[in-house]
Amino acid sequence: MAWPPTPQELITVSAPSPGGAGGAYRAFGETLRGLKTTMARVFEGIHTIQYPEEKVPVYPRFRGRHRLHRFEDTGLEKCVGCSLCAAACPADCIRVVAAENTPEHRISAGERYAAVYEINLSRCIFCGYCEVACPFDAITMGQDYEMSDYSRSDLIFTKEMLLAEPLDRTPLRAEGE
Amino acid sequence: MSSISEYRAQEESITMAPLGEQIAEQGEEDRELMTLNIGPHHPATHGVLRLLVTLDGEVVRDLKPIIGYVHTGIEKTAEDKSYWKAIPVVERMDYLAYYFNAFAFCGATETLLGVEVPKRAQYLRVLHLELNRIMSHLVWLGTSALDLGAMSMFWYCFREREAVLDLFEMSSGQRMHTRYIQVGGVIEDIPAGFEERVRAFCAQMPTRVDQYNDLLDRNEIVLRRLRHVCPMGADELLALGVTGPLLRAAGNPWDLRKAMPYSSYEDFDFAIPVGTEGDNYDRFAVRLAEIKESVKIVEQCLDGLPEGPYITDDRKVALPPRHELATSMEALIHHFKLVTEGFRVPPGEVYYPIESPRGELGCFVRSDGSSKPARVHMRDPSFVNLQATAPMTKDAYLADLIATLAMLDPVLGGIDR
Ligand code: SF4
Ligand code: SF4
Repeated sequence: MAWPPTPQELITVSAPSPGGAGGAYRAFGETLRGLKTTMARVFEGIHTIQYPEEKVPVYPRFRGRHRLHRFEDTGLEKCVGCSLCAAACPADCIRVVAAENTPEHRISAGERYAAVYEINLSRCIFCGYCEVACPFDAITMGQDYEMSDYSRSDLIFTKEMLLAEPLDRTPLRAEGE
Repeated sequence: MSSISEYRAQEESITMAPLGEQIAEQGEEDRELMTLNIGPHHPATHGVLRLLVTLDGEVVRDLKPIIGYVHTGIEKTAEDKSYWKAIPVVERMDYLAYYFNAFAFCGATETLLGVEVPKRAQYLRVLHLELNRIMSHLVWLGTSALDLGAMSMFWYCFREREAVLDLFEMSSGQRMHTRYIQVGGVIEDIPAGFEERVRAFCAQMPTRVDQYNDLLDRNEIVLRRLRHVCPMGADELLALGVTGPLLRAAGNPWDLRKAMPYSSYEDFDFAIPVGTEGDNYDRFAVRLAEIKESVKIVEQCLDGLPEGPYITDDRKVALPPRHELATSMEALIHHFKLVTEGFRVPPGEVYYPIESPRGELGCFVRSDGSSKPARVHMRDPSFVNLQATAPMTKDAYLADLIATLAMLDPVLGGIDR
């Protein structure tokens, strides 16, 4: 494509000067046309949603509050405390302290497990890099977005809170819906 | 002199009555100048912008924009993150043009790396960039019309914006700050069913723009508020570095998408709306016409969307596909390396300009060979355009200052960075 653009590639916008005979016409004609436009919208129905009684379902890719996962068969935690998610986090809001599994005290499927796993949700920017970084699908972004709380310290989510089944309060759309 | 007192001196140099004596010399003793402070928390300043206005009655004689109230230090923060991790951070500068911020930064990094971006990724980027442009213009139109007293426009525009944000949520998982664009491509392919939704949106949007036009375009009040108000010629705008719809409204068709095509923009057939006078009306009409052109580009993107990968297969830069992590040791090693340290970028510096909804958005990146950028700087169009406010509104009415500021479309997150 060459520069400068040809006249066919340009759209010139223009408008009459206000006032005069045209202005007198517009003051009635155009105002009526505007009124017709707004009135016609009445028949389109209501667009607003009565949140929180009514909720918009989120899409499958939506990145809400994190969840940690367990293996369904053994009940062991998937997280092996490798701290890759903490390394990937641009907001530095994940804290992982790993510990060794022992045969009597087995928490995760790997050699090590996360003794401490905390996410400071008041710092999290919901970029989802932790989910991308985790090689074992141990952490995923859930669908919950209603996380407000009265104190900041309550927004530091511990491993137990992240492992627990979240309250089912946000509807999810099916794939492709 | 310590830096604190230098700062004080600068603050105190903002004089409150710069034109007081001049007027007294004219021999009109009853006339007096008034200094009015607008903002920083004022809905009509479209963000936390503070204006010190010197008024002669209702007429603006002088104006000083004061910025810095949403300074985030993002440019500095980006120096401390690997390139991969800097993407969601730089996205948050101009909060209405997040795809543009991410793309400018990724484009600059790709130029330094010499990475080839697959065609499909380029098209997917353009698709989202143009949807983002529509979204940004809708927010501008809604809030600006509100400044002129047109309340319904605000709801109409936000209704359509909602539809765009829904599309963003579907393809990238977040409505704002999506981190969809990555170095080397995009993070995920578009999901099933996305194309139909975008097509439905594209079919509807031009009629919506026509409805906006029905309401505003020839309305006598709008014409009186905008036509011939606060004009500025193309030469003067260029001298101030103003780009984007403001410059095009003055008749100069400068548009980087056509002038220096990037990301396959040369494949698309679209027109550049230009104005003639450079007044507030032209600024308004050019942006509205741009929405329609953006819809055309989005449709062409979908029609011509090539098959192929959505991110480069250069494993030094892009994360390996997830399914390989369980099977290939090599993929796992690359994954670990990219996540913990990131890729190293050859030393050099690059300036990558793109056409954002507000003008030329350029990203300057300097690399010292490590995995973190040595310097990231954004040439944000809002920042440069803002300096045209004072010359534009000199000797205009105060109400026209509000309208002009609205037509400038400054986004303070981008100005302060
Ligand atoms: S979503 Fe992003 S910011 Fe939040 S914990 Fe994960 S990596 Fe960190
Ligand atoms: S969640 Fe995943 S990345 Fe994070 S420590 Fe656990 S296993 Fe490693």
